[in-house]
Amino acid sequence: MTVTEKLKELYATRTERAKELKEKGQQVVGYFCCFVPEEIITAFDLVPFRLPGSQKDPIDQADAFIEPMACPFARSCFNRALKGEYEFLDGFVAPHSCDTIERLYHIWFHNHPAAFNHLINVPHMRERGAEEFFRAELHYFARCLEDWTGRKLDREKLRKAVRLSNRKRVLLRDLYELRKRKTPPLSGVEVLEIQVAGMGLPVEEYVDLLEQYLREVRSRNEKEVRPRIFLWGNVIDDSTFIRLIEDSGAWVVMDDLCTGSRSFWEDVPETADPFEGLARRYLNIPCPRSNFPRTGNRPFDLASRFGYIGDFVRDWQAEGAIFYVVRYCDTCELEAPDLRDYLREMGMAVLMLEDDYSLVTIGQLRTRVQAFIEMMTGVA
Amino acid sequence: MGEREQKKTTAVKGTTTAGLIRGLVKDIYRLAHEAKAEGKKVAYFMVASQYDEIIRAMDIVPIPTENYAGLCAAKRDMDRFLLRAEEDGYSQVLCSYARIGLGFDSLRKELGGIPENAPDGGMPEPDMMLGSSAVCDPRFKWYQAAGRYLDVPSYSIDVVAPPVQADLNEVRDYYIRYQEEQFRGLIDFLERQTGKKMDEDRLWETIRLGDEAWRLWYEIDRLRVAIPCPMPAQDHFSIMVAGHYYCGTQVAVDFYRQLYEEVKAKVEKGQGVIPEEKYRLLYGGGLPPWHTLWIFNYFESFGAVFVIENVYRGYDPVEVPAHVKDPVKYLAWRAFLRFTQRHEKAKKNSGHPLVERLLGLIQDYSIDGVVFHACRSCRATTVGQIHIKNLLGRYTDIPMMQLVSDMVDLRDYSEAQWKAQIGAFIDALQARK
Repeated sequence: MTVTEKLKELYATRTERAKELKEKGQQVVGYFCCFVPEEIITAFDLVPFRLPGSQKDPIDQADAFIEPMACPFARSCFNRALKGEYEFLDGFVAPHSCDTIERLYHIWFHNHPAAFNHLINVPHMRERGAEEFFRAELHYFARCLEDWTGRKLDREKLRKAVRLSNRKRVLLRDLYELRKRKTPPLSGVEVLEIQVAGMGLPVEEYVDLLEQYLREVRSRNEKEVRPRIFLWGNVIDDSTFIRLIEDSGAWVVMDDLCTGSRSFWEDVPETADPFEGLARRYLNIPCPRSNFPRTGNRPFDLASRFGYIGDFVRDWQAEGAIFYVVRYCDTCELEAPDLRDYLREMGMAVLMLEDDYSLVTIGQLRTRVQAFIEMMTGVA
Repeated sequence: MGEREQKKTTAVKGTTTAGLIRGLVKDIYRLAHEAKAEGKKVAYFMVASQYDEIIRAMDIVPIPTENYAGLCAAKRDMDRFLLRAEEDGYSQVLCSYARIGLGFDSLRKELGGIPENAPDGGMPEPDMMLGSSAVCDPRFKWYQAAGRYLDVPSYSIDVVAPPVQADLNEVRDYYIRYQEEQFRGLIDFLERQTGKKMDEDRLWETIRLGDEAWRLWYEIDRLRVAIPCPMPAQDHFSIMVAGHYYCGTQVAVDFYRQLYEEVKAKVEKGQGVIPEEKYRLLYGGGLPPWHTLWIFNYFESFGAVFVIENVYRGYDPVEVPAHVKDPVKYLAWRAFLRFTQRHEKAKKNSGHPLVERLLGLIQDYSIDGVVFHACRSCRATTVGQIHIKNLLGRYTDIPMMQLVSDMVDLRDYSEAQWKAQIGAFIDALQARK
């Protein structure tokens, strides 16, 4: 099996590798979002497993526990848990990333607890004590893991885990770098699937696969020139929507998604106290759930909030932007019009879409995506 | 603009004092306009952010943007603001309070003044916006978004609470320290905006007034254990204005003193809300349907009175340790104690502080049934209601119901559906008597 095939299989099966490791005696800790430091889990010799939902399966059990006006991704994850698809988890960790995930933690804890359950409070603000508070929360998380595992945290192991996750980040950035080419050697579908494949693996194993994959993909023939799309939103852990865009005649060349660049773009600084670097890095993830205080006039405010996206768009030469927001995400819904203004000011065409995190509803978006790409091509 | 049809949305209240609230609401916006004209600082602000006394101590005139959304709904004048926000790109599922606020700001910017016939004279343009993460995410993101219509500075604070499973002895210090730091950051910001220093004595005075108002409010609610109930939920949804929008002022204290005397007199006379109180209901949670508050009178037509609520007065008075001598530290301690006051009890029983609160209310207030209101656009007060209902069901077999609409967006409300649901609920109550 080639490494490409291996990664495709890992994407398609998602939970299988974690189950195998569990059967071999390893303990698996499931977690939500990109605010839980996988380094701490790795340092305890536990397998970090980022929880995926399922856009293919209907949410048929969770409605008895959680309201339908909650994020359908979160509901889908819990639906999977209720159906017994996460029985291999030994631990369950949620960050207080948003209202729904915080509520879901309690619902999950009461109705489907793992052996270890923990909620990490994540500040929404970044100033006046936020980093110190978050560091204390991470210390407390590690302390609770010590109680549960019966093992003391080995600081050296934590430093090693930081270096390992940073290595993963370097490799993913290298992968994204290839997408800058006018004729990228890999599609947006492949990039998403590779990232999702890595969400259920020990970091070391994933790093090894990424190194092999990069060697393979660098020698590939490049694909044809197509309109280039920047994708923004909250969570996409199924490649169907990206395939829809690419089947409509464009390439997704860059993203700002919590399952994409947002989750790995910045390294963890290697500080003397590893918790310091972890707190700083994770607190500064540019998710719409965090607050950026306004410090100047409107153009300055937009530039300070979205400047990194402006760089993405310029450096990856994106010609159009598609926003894919999983419905009921208040923070994304409030952010999107501002980002649209910012990108339009840069001369970008923007398509804002809202969806129910379901393959059924994604199909309905096809016409709008096709029309948008045709419009872009016409403009070009 | 032509005359719009004003449908009746409000409920007949149980107390005379609650009738004074309409004047207090009008005063909020009148005083804000006057302050603006006099060059005083006015600020958009979010209720229950634990910072009310700081704002009052700095003599900043607050404009509660959420209240304004509720007011528009009660006046059935919300559509033009909701639709404007949606035209500007805000989703129809986004918090409808935020949509009304953003739609209002958008129209005011376009018109260069207050939209015509805006309820209670509309909201003047603020000098600053003060958000917070207390209660929900939109309460800081909304003001960030409002920057597209308002070229004014904004500042938001975190308000943090540990989960019930946390070991309070282990986390207390750093939670309180962070809360204190966040308040100090706000004070720095306000000092820069106003050009004056915070006066500690003045802050202690507003805290004293805030605590006294909330103590009186708690005492009023305790009087409501009486059978028949002297004050119904529709009064609660009015009188909360004093505790939230006038917190830290003498106005709130005076209002609650007057209300306390009236409710006490009603209890002494055995005077209830309706002549024959058959069923005593608990409003289990969710923002009220501001567009249709008369629904409480509809329940009363079946002999059902809402005698207590689980919204707006979310915590009982707490005692901050005497060693806390600094007012900002006091506020941080108070917030922590408020948010954790049922944690230890919950650990020993249901595992959920809110369930503990509701079980306590069911017992103390001789409750026959619980009604929740799910708002389609409010994640914070809605997500988790089913869960709470399920947990409560492990401890009590009284009937429970979840009505679904929205706090202000009438498009999510169906009168026929509600009446059918209420009819079935009343049958269930009757069957248990």
